[in-house]
Amino acid sequence: MAPGGRAVREFFLSPTHAWRAFIGDPSEGLSAIWEGFLTNIWMFIVCEVLVLIFGLAIAVVRMSSSPILTPLRFLSTVYTDFFRGIPVILVLFAVGYGVPGMDLGWISQQSPTVYACISLTITYSAYVAEVYRAGINSVATNQLVAARAIGLRQGATMRYVVLPQAVRNVIPPLLNDFISLQKDTALVSTLGIVDATQAAHIYGSLNFNFAGYTVASLLFLLLTIPMTRLTDRLINRDRVKRLAFIS
Amino acid sequence: MRALRLALAGALSATALTAATLASTAGATTTLKGCDSATYKTSGKLTVGTDNPVWEPWFSNNKPSNGAGYESAFTYALARKMGFSKANVKWVTVPFDASYAPGAKSFDFDINEISYTPQRARTVEFSKSYYNVQQSVVVLKTSKYANVTTLAGLKGAKFGDQVGTTGMTYITKYIKPDAKPRAYNTLDLAVAALQSKQIDAIVVDTPTGNYMVNVQITTKSGKALAKQIGQFKSVGEHFGVTFQKNSKLVACVNSAIAALKADGTLKRLSNQYLSDYTAVPLLK
Repeated sequence: MAPGGRAVREFFLSPTHAWRAFIGDPSEGLSAIWEGFLTNIWMFIVCEVLVLIFGLAIAVVRMSSSPILTPLRFLSTVYTDFFRGIPVILVLFAVGYGVPGMDLGWISQQSPTVYACISLTITYSAYVAEVYRAGINSVATNQLVAARAIGLRQGATMRYVVLPQAVRNVIPPLLNDFISLQKDTALVSTLGIVDATQAAHIYGSLNFNFAGYTVASLLFLLLTIPMTRLTDRLINRDRVKRLAFIS
Repeated sequence: MRALRLALAGALSATALTAATLASTAGATTTLKGCDSATYKTSGKLTVGTDNPVWEPWFSNNKPSNGAGYESAFTYALARKMGFSKANVKWVTVPFDASYAPGAKSFDFDINEISYTPQRARTVEFSKSYYNVQQSVVVLKTSKYANVTTLAGLKGAKFGDQVGTTGMTYITKYIKPDAKPRAYNTLDLAVAALQSKQIDAIVVDTPTGNYMVNVQITTKSGKALAKQIGQFKSVGEHFGVTFQKNSKLVACVNSAIAALKADGTLKRLSNQYLSDYTAVPLLK
């Protein structure tokens, strides 16, 4: 073991500190990490739903070929380029401090959690739109031709032929982005929200001990690992079903 | 191999010894108790850590080395007592979290408005108090809490503070607000949140709060937009400089602080830099 091993172990792994950080103590100014983690969970759920919707909308617009949609197509391209290129934390700053600062009535009076959700949704929609686009591109051209041959219009082709196959193909990369989103809910602490990591930070600096960060890491793992396993199972089940047609 | 290691270790400890001797001779102009056995990071220099940015009235113009501001002036007075000239005080940037992380430190001591608590003292060494501090409540003048004089009157307010400061303890222990308090990573973010009305009140040490309302949260022409509605009664909270655990320097710094207290330097410095706040009333 390293010479400083004992000190580091105490600093990151002390069970007493870990437990105190987990349950919190208002009489000492300590927020409970478990309570902060609930904030991470519900933010992630709300954002995930919004991201799935907006990401899909952006991708569909971008892949459309109708001349009327040209300006929107252009916009969606600019949007994905722009928001994939900016660090999430800067979007959080701009939205979380900029919007309330503008004094725009109710728009400026939302809680930081709302601005945090908006920021995460803005950024992750850009990523997820690209994932969807890759999925749409992965659907074989003869599927489109066949759809046209049986008389489906463009919209119906997208809805009934392309998207169901496209989404299936991109479930693993989508999941990748969602795990990333779950972890990035930790960034909302920049807006003053006491999530699990901020509660750990408070514990750490009032006690000069980082065991709270270890607790927060474990909680995040408890969330992400089962989700990965579940998705793997879904993918496998789907694969087996599809292969059943061939055999 | 083992012999070589032993030889190396011997050579190293010999160097360390010489360094220690050199260091103590460098501080030789002092006769303070505990200073003869003191060792320094760089011999002949006093290496002092603090964060970046640093704030008024503790420092001035974000430049610890200019000798202005309470903590900077105090550090130089302390160094003089310990036998270091101004030129031999070396400042290093140490983020707050790094000041208490385990492992070798880059400083002899760190000064950054760090309040003593028994829990913290298990990880680092604290000096004796160089400033006894109280915490105050800052709100916008236009806020509905601007004329509140009691702790109970603040229960409905949305609170924020800088993450990891003792302010949070005062919020959750003495006010117990209905809404969950927010913790901002830096003080300026908390101020931004106050100005954009994301929060109603900040709890911050009284001198810093005083600087906020007089200088930071003002119109372009310098008119104050915020006010300090009151401070919590003293509960013995105080600032100490922090050292690596088991540092050999603690005794020396403590006797230097005692000397600065005895000869009136601390009082003079606090009058010079921190006097404005004495008018802040107590919150009942």
